[in-house]
Amino acid sequence: MEIVEVQDLCKTYGMGEAKVEALKHVSFTLQKGEFAAVIGESGSGKSTLLNCIGALDEPTGGQIMIDGRNLFAMREEERTIFRRRNIGFIFQSFHLIPELNVEQNIIFPLLLDYKKPDSRQVEEVLEVLGLQERRRHLPGQLSGGQQQRVAIGRALITKPKLILADEPTGNLDRKNSREVMELLRKASGQYQQTILMITHNPNLITSVDRVMQVADGILSDLGGNVNEKLS
Amino acid sequence: MKNYLNLIPISSKLHRRQTRMTRWCIVISVFLISAIFGMADMFLQSQKNLAVMTDGAWHVVFRELDEEQTALLAARPEVKSVTRYAATNYKLDMGYEVGGVQTVLCGFDETFFEIYPQAHLTEGAFPERDREALVTESMRERQGLSVGDEVVVAAPGDSLTFRVSGFVEDTSMMLKTDSFGVFMNTDTYLSCFRDATLTADFACYVEFVPHCRIQRAVGDICESLHIAKEQVSENARLMGTLGQSGDHYIMMLYLVAFILAALVAVSGMMMILGSMNSNVAQRTEFFGMMRCLGATAKQVRRYVRTEALFWCMKAIPPGLLFSVVTVWGLCRMLKVITPTWFSEMPGFGISLPGVFFGILIGILTVLAASRTPARKASEVSPLTAVSGNAGTVFAAKRAAHTGRLHVETALGLHHAAGSRKNLILLTSSFAFSIILFLGFGIGITFMKHAIVTLRPYTPDISVVSQDDSCSIPDSLYTALKENTDIKRIFGRSFAYDLPAQIQGEDKRVMLISYEAYQFGWAEGDLRQGEMEAVRDGEGVLLVEKPGIAAAVGSDIELETKTGRQKVRVAGILGYAPLDSGEGVGTVICSEDLFRRLTGETGYTILDIQLHDKSDAVVEGIRSAAGENYRFSDSRKNNRETRAVYFSFALFVYGFLAVVALIAVFNIINSIAMSVSARMRQYGAMRAIGISVRQLQSMVAAETLVYLAGGLAEGLVLGMPLHYYLYRWAITARWGDAWRAPVIECLVIMTVMTLAAVAAMTGPVRRIREMSVVETIGM
Repeated sequence: MEIVEVQDLCKTYGMGEAKVEALKHVSFTLQKGEFAAVIGESGSGKSTLLNCIGALDEPTGGQIMIDGRNLFAMREEERTIFRRRNIGFIFQSFHLIPELNVEQNIIFPLLLDYKKPDSRQVEEVLEVLGLQERRRHLPGQLSGGQQQRVAIGRALITKPKLILADEPTGNLDRKNSREVMELLRKASGQYQQTILMITHNPNLITSVDRVMQVADGILSDLGGNVNEKLS
Repeated sequence: MKNYLNLIPISSKLHRRQTRMTRWCIVISVFLISAIFGMADMFLQSQKNLAVMTDGAWHVVFRELDEEQTALLAARPEVKSVTRYAATNYKLDMGYEVGGVQTVLCGFDETFFEIYPQAHLTEGAFPERDREALVTESMRERQGLSVGDEVVVAAPGDSLTFRVSGFVEDTSMMLKTDSFGVFMNTDTYLSCFRDATLTADFACYVEFVPHCRIQRAVGDICESLHIAKEQVSENARLMGTLGQSGDHYIMMLYLVAFILAALVAVSGMMMILGSMNSNVAQRTEFFGMMRCLGATAKQVRRYVRTEALFWCMKAIPPGLLFSVVTVWGLCRMLKVITPTWFSEMPGFGISLPGVFFGILIGILTVLAASRTPARKASEVSPLTAVSGNAGTVFAAKRAAHTGRLHVETALGLHHAAGSRKNLILLTSSFAFSIILFLGFGIGITFMKHAIVTLRPYTPDISVVSQDDSCSIPDSLYTALKENTDIKRIFGRSFAYDLPAQIQGEDKRVMLISYEAYQFGWAEGDLRQGEMEAVRDGEGVLLVEKPGIAAAVGSDIELETKTGRQKVRVAGILGYAPLDSGEGVGTVICSEDLFRRLTGETGYTILDIQLHDKSDAVVEGIRSAAGENYRFSDSRKNNRETRAVYFSFALFVYGFLAVVALIAVFNIINSIAMSVSARMRQYGAMRAIGISVRQLQSMVAAETLVYLAGGLAEGLVLGMPLHYYLYRWAITARWGDAWRAPVIECLVIMTVMTLAAVAAMTGPVRRIREMSVVETIGM
């Protein structure tokens, strides 16, 4: 079942001589439960791709379907609500809300929908993330690895169809990076969530199902059995 | 670039948008402070002008001095001029007349014209020789006099003859009382009145040299010349405007002014402090990076302070320029609307105190306000720059309560109340607006008490019966009514001291007739009953007074020339502009009823309001009325009253408008700063899925906390301040008990609430238009 369908996606910045084509006619699909990584050099266009799929940035051309819905055919408010229910974000800089504790940060997307969180589900996420003991802690009282785990919990809590991760281990040490990747792997395998991750780290792509590369705005699919070759 | 501090102008150029808000904040704070002090300075100048025009340029008057004391006084170095002055028949009750018109006789030195600019020579010269005198313009016109003519003043049992040496303008008092003036030098005066006048009647009006400490000088003079304190009095109005008054009440007013000035300065400081704190908070990452690159904490502190001074250099001149232009505007208004009184006001003058305080408070405040941000910036850990947490993780001390409220509301409340320091700073700056408004609001009460305003019924001229009888015929009223230069004419007939029985008690009343205009103006004072029946002649109005009371519908029995008659009380008035005297009631009826009750058909007084207030028109009316009636000319007096009221009102309402502006700017600035500081956080929330509407609610909840806290704090602190200022400025002088300033509170609360609503629109628009990707730096 296709969760993400990107067709002929283009993104251009600036005009005239300053014109930069960040994405050139990008097309690909992602299946339910698929864990894909996008690699590429700085400025290659991979973050732009992620931002467009996450409806944070508007493409210049082409279309993006998430779970059969055309993202940019929706009005802004509708798109925002669709995003919080169907797309989970994990950022390199965590972007936790400093005034909310661990548990509140995790259930934040549910609170935005004015839904009462299911306590069993919250417990389960906290347990999976190993944050039960720190549920009342504020982000400022946590280590980087713990903060990223909270961000993962926040992305998982709405059981979104798609999780977008932008360099999720970029600010973490090796041990924490490994733990984060395990969590993402678990989300993909156990909860059948589709994950699209951007990374610079070649070691991380050993854990993914499929690798794509962006160079000068052009996406090429390196397939699903490149692990050994790349590593 | 030779020094790391050279980065400041470069950074400022590159981050023009980010620093614009802080620069504007300094510009507006400097403008407000400088405008308030500039306006206060111009206000004092205008009041000084008025005081000189109406009360004279003298500072202190000494009475009962002998010739030696007068000579010694004039010889003192701090004394600029001494003018001797004495008057006879000043109250018009001594029987000195010229052509049947009451005449005031004054003797003074020539310097009198310097200390009374209002009394200026229109023709001729000051009387140097014996039995020479100046006479007023009205006497010249009505007696057909020229320089060199003789004028005979009929005195009790005798007469005095003077040769006219020149003419002077009438004073407003003489015009109003329809009297003449004859002014002579002191030698002539003494030769005429030596027997009747004591030396004590001569007063020595003293003008001191500029910058003299008058109170101290007066003390020295009294001590060295053995003059008792009771012999000295001061020109309180002029001395008050010069800041030299020793009067206890004026000292109280100085205290009130000092407190208000201090409050203005503090409110300016708070605005700048809030803005600078916020600016530094937004650049935590930059300071972290500086530390990372090897800058010491001291260097970062110096950077922030130098940057503050750099902003001062950029922002203070435009702030001063705006204030100077504002003060010019107000002065021009004064000069254009009342040119006679404020011709000496500088049209494009610069208020040095305004500029001085603008610069001083601007620089001091920015330096003081940059201390805390400088310390905060220097304390930023180098790790902040590299960890990626800068601008995202604020040092929250406790979690928001999301249990009962919507998460966006809970977060909004937490943003406002999460940091106690921030909450106190912002609510205090909001509260200051209320405190300032209540403080300056005292000015309105003071103005209403101190200045008698013109009423709708104030006449320009009045034709008055010589003997207060109803001797002005109806035909004169009808004839004047035809005059197209007359805007309104309304007559009143009086029957004085009529025996009456009210509620079964014997009283005495004054019966007055009103016509349509006067009934219309009295509507606002009607406490009970109805006006219509009185207009139709079916009843009378009784004016409320201690000891004189009757219910609406009851009868009053009046005894007039035509016998005893009953009239029904149709209404009760709370106030009437005509006082009948202690214990005497005032009864008002229609003209028809007055004529039926008294049998009189004429008027006692005709009040006239003019379209064309020129002398020619007034002369025309005077000649139409003839010489059988007194003629009261209030035009000059009205002009004085209007000028005083206008100059006062312009500045009092100007102050209040500036204070309201402070409130509006403060609120808009605070909310904009608060939203700017959290923009990155809002961006992250937008990425997670919060809607613009939810963010709007978050900002609204935060604003509400500041507004409610500010209002509460402002009222709690502002009320006691208002109470004390009221006691010092109002109760001390007029004895009025303090009353809560409900209207002032409602006005400023409405202004603040509207400002808070308006304050949210800008930030909400920025949130709506923000690019999530650019904001969170993905």
